[in-house]
Amino acid sequence: MTTPLASLASCFQGLLPAQLFTCSSDGVPNAAYLSHVEYVDAEHVALSFQFFNKSRRNIAENPHAVVMVIDPDTGQGWNLTLRYVRSETEGPLFERMALRIEAIASFTNLKGVFKLRAADVYRVDAIEPAPEELGAVAEPGRRPGECGDVRVVFSARAVRDVVERASRAESLDAFMDDVLAAIDASLGFRHALLLMPTEQDGVLVTVATRGYPQNGVGAEVRYGEGIGGFVAEARQPIRLSGLVRGMLYALAMHRRASEPELVRRTRQIPVPGLDNADSQLGVPLMVRDELVGVLCLDSERPYRFHEDDKALVQVLGVCLGLALQRLQWHERAADVPAESPSAAPEAPPHTERPAETASRRPALHLTYHVEDACVLVGSDYLIRGLPATILWRLLRAHEATGRTEFTNRELRLDKSLNLPAWKDNLESRLILLRRRLQQKCPDIALVPRGRGRFGLELACPVVLAERP
Amino acid sequence: MIDATLTAFLEQGLSLHIATRDRDMRPVGARALALRVHGDGVHLTAYVAQVAAERLLGPLDASRQAAVDVGRPEDDRACQVKGIVEAVRPARDDEQALVARQWEGLRDQLSGIGIARASTARWATWPAMAVEMRVTAVFEQTPGPLAGNPFP
Repeated sequence: MTTPLASLASCFQGLLPAQLFTCSSDGVPNAAYLSHVEYVDAEHVALSFQFFNKSRRNIAENPHAVVMVIDPDTGQGWNLTLRYVRSETEGPLFERMALRIEAIASFTNLKGVFKLRAADVYRVDAIEPAPEELGAVAEPGRRPGECGDVRVVFSARAVRDVVERASRAESLDAFMDDVLAAIDASLGFRHALLLMPTEQDGVLVTVATRGYPQNGVGAEVRYGEGIGGFVAEARQPIRLSGLVRGMLYALAMHRRASEPELVRRTRQIPVPGLDNADSQLGVPLMVRDELVGVLCLDSERPYRFHEDDKALVQVLGVCLGLALQRLQWHERAADVPAESPSAAPEAPPHTERPAETASRRPALHLTYHVEDACVLVGSDYLIRGLPATILWRLLRAHEATGRTEFTNRELRLDKSLNLPAWKDNLESRLILLRRRLQQKCPDIALVPRGRGRFGLELACPVVLAERP
Repeated sequence: MIDATLTAFLEQGLSLHIATRDRDMRPVGARALALRVHGDGVHLTAYVAQVAAERLLGPLDASRQAAVDVGRPEDDRACQVKGIVEAVRPARDDEQALVARQWEGLRDQLSGIGIARASTARWATWPAMAVEMRVTAVFEQTPGPLAGNPFP
């Protein structure tokens, strides 16, 4: 083969369905669309096998096939002459292909409906350009299909700018917003969110968002759900370049399937997203083997993330992961002993709410549901999990003693909170709680007072109740 | 075989591919440009750019069998028409407008899913060859478990 198979990586993203040509043993040709062609190695590709259709039956009789793919960057079509080798129903290749199908199905709320039965591996005997599908010639600095303001976005310079800004952040709180702002400014992605692991295994929580109609801080994502959950599970970047293509394909399959309609699972806080996202990128923020966060980018453009971007995206994930972990450690190290004489606030940006004014306002009724570790304001959901437990602990302390000043350290030492001894991520939980309060219950505020300290400020009386 | 509704679908300007096979039972395929369903609903003409037809001519002559896959990129609605090849000839000048109209329809569909028109500007459309077929079957091809069933 004069054209290396690896050079066709962009063709395998599924923006346009591939075309598969087969032939039965009695000589009847067949042409069919194919959702997924996966690069295996320099001499093999894998085709997704989801249904027992005519193509699959033909291959069982006659192992010869041709697949046509199109490079979405150039428009160049390619004919790959194939010979069936084997089917894999487990292992890394199968998992990789199943992951993509599941990710798209998850996005369309059809997770579990479309199963990959096998990854069918074919040897590639020949690669030839399709003369009827000649590719466009690239303009300098652009990919051939690009036009308007769409340029190569993951340049080394742009990634450097994001990393620089992230490394300058002076607090974890600032880091979360600065990173998303830098990604907007330097990479041009206006819609992004940052997830972090929670104290609950297999659950991420949204800690910062940018560019979405809904704020969504506090929204939880389970591993394997949506792009963020899949990234967390796979611990590798996942691109869904032809997201609309995949969704249409999935929906077309769904309309033809006889599966019962799935019931949309309700979430207490919806995960932010674009209704018209055409491509998504999820980046794991990794420090060695530890997942410290997941960055998710949305774009309305159908083909925004290119194969060439992959290495820089991974570098970005590592750099942001390191910066995030450094800030977590730094803030934990800033804990001051609860009884320390130097514990006085350092020039607190304190805007104490006048108690008299607060007492004249109607009381806020908060309920803590013990079993769910969940706090409601009136009948509206506020937050759950560890941030909810922390909030309840603070409000109870205030109710009992009138205290308004607290330290991270005392929370860390409070055994009732069941914080892990190491890597408790307390600071990120407090940030999440503070942001959620700002968004949904601004009458209660957690105000930073400096190193490892914060104040509880109430703009009205609160009435606390507990339910089992 | 092909009613008015299906004719309207097939001729609207969609993504078309034609498959055949050689003497050794190896499949061969290419992009097609346009389809014209004849008034009898049994015959159709598939147009293929001449540069693509060159690799199809030998196999079409050897097998006399063809399958045309028709897909609408915007929603993946698709069907497959199978038939016997009765003739292959150069497309006439008076057929060029039909080919051009359907081709532009496809390019509009592709740009709607993110394939810039610049990417398809160099795809070959003319001169073209016309593959005359007698349709023997039409199959559902929309992705899913019913793909491959006879078209309703």
